[in-house]
Amino acid sequence: MIMKSRSKTCPVCETGVRVLDYKDERTLSRFLTDRGKILPSRLSGMCARHQRQLSTAIKRARQLALLPYIKGYGQ
Amino acid sequence: MTRRYEVVYIFDSALEEPAVNERLARFNALLGEGTEVGTSHWGKRTLAYPIKRRDVGYYVVSKFEAATELLPEFERAIKLDESVLRFLVVLAEEYAVTARVPMEGAVAPAEEDDE
Repeated sequence: MIMKSRSKTCPVCETGVRVLDYKDERTLSRFLTDRGKILPSRLSGMCARHQRQLSTAIKRARQLALLPYIKGYGQ
Repeated sequence: MTRRYEVVYIFDSALEEPAVNERLARFNALLGEGTEVGTSHWGKRTLAYPIKRRDVGYYVVSKFEAATELLPEFERAIKLDESVLRFLVVLAEEYAVTARVPMEGAVAPAEEDDE
């Protein structure tokens, strides 16, 4: 079991980014599991505000085929 | 009411650049004149998953300001175009931030509703 301490600060706040961009799939892919699921904030340490932004951004990126819905499927 | 939007198009990669520009001009014409803020061509990119059996798409991102009433017709025109594999229209992020700033000359509502 991976247990991260709750005191860890949000990785997006640290970089000073205010709004997550759905077109920036390289940053978004850091918050995906190896199957392409959205990483829960429990594991990513993200603040609630950015986690909400992240989920819409990833869903938009998926619609635009910038990110896969399921990674490693049919390959 | 005009709002600021951002649209991402994925064109068929078989389309030549002039053909893409021609379509963009046609779509933009539906939004009224002088509304476009900027367009950037990403060019051909591999899709994360096939769309309409295509593995590569030609991406174009465009920002514009338009009256909200014009949007349904704009989206309908894009949907009818077979060469657009997919598109997404979203409210531009900056708008969401600046929308909270009260307009100049507007009466400050904060003083009226202090309960």
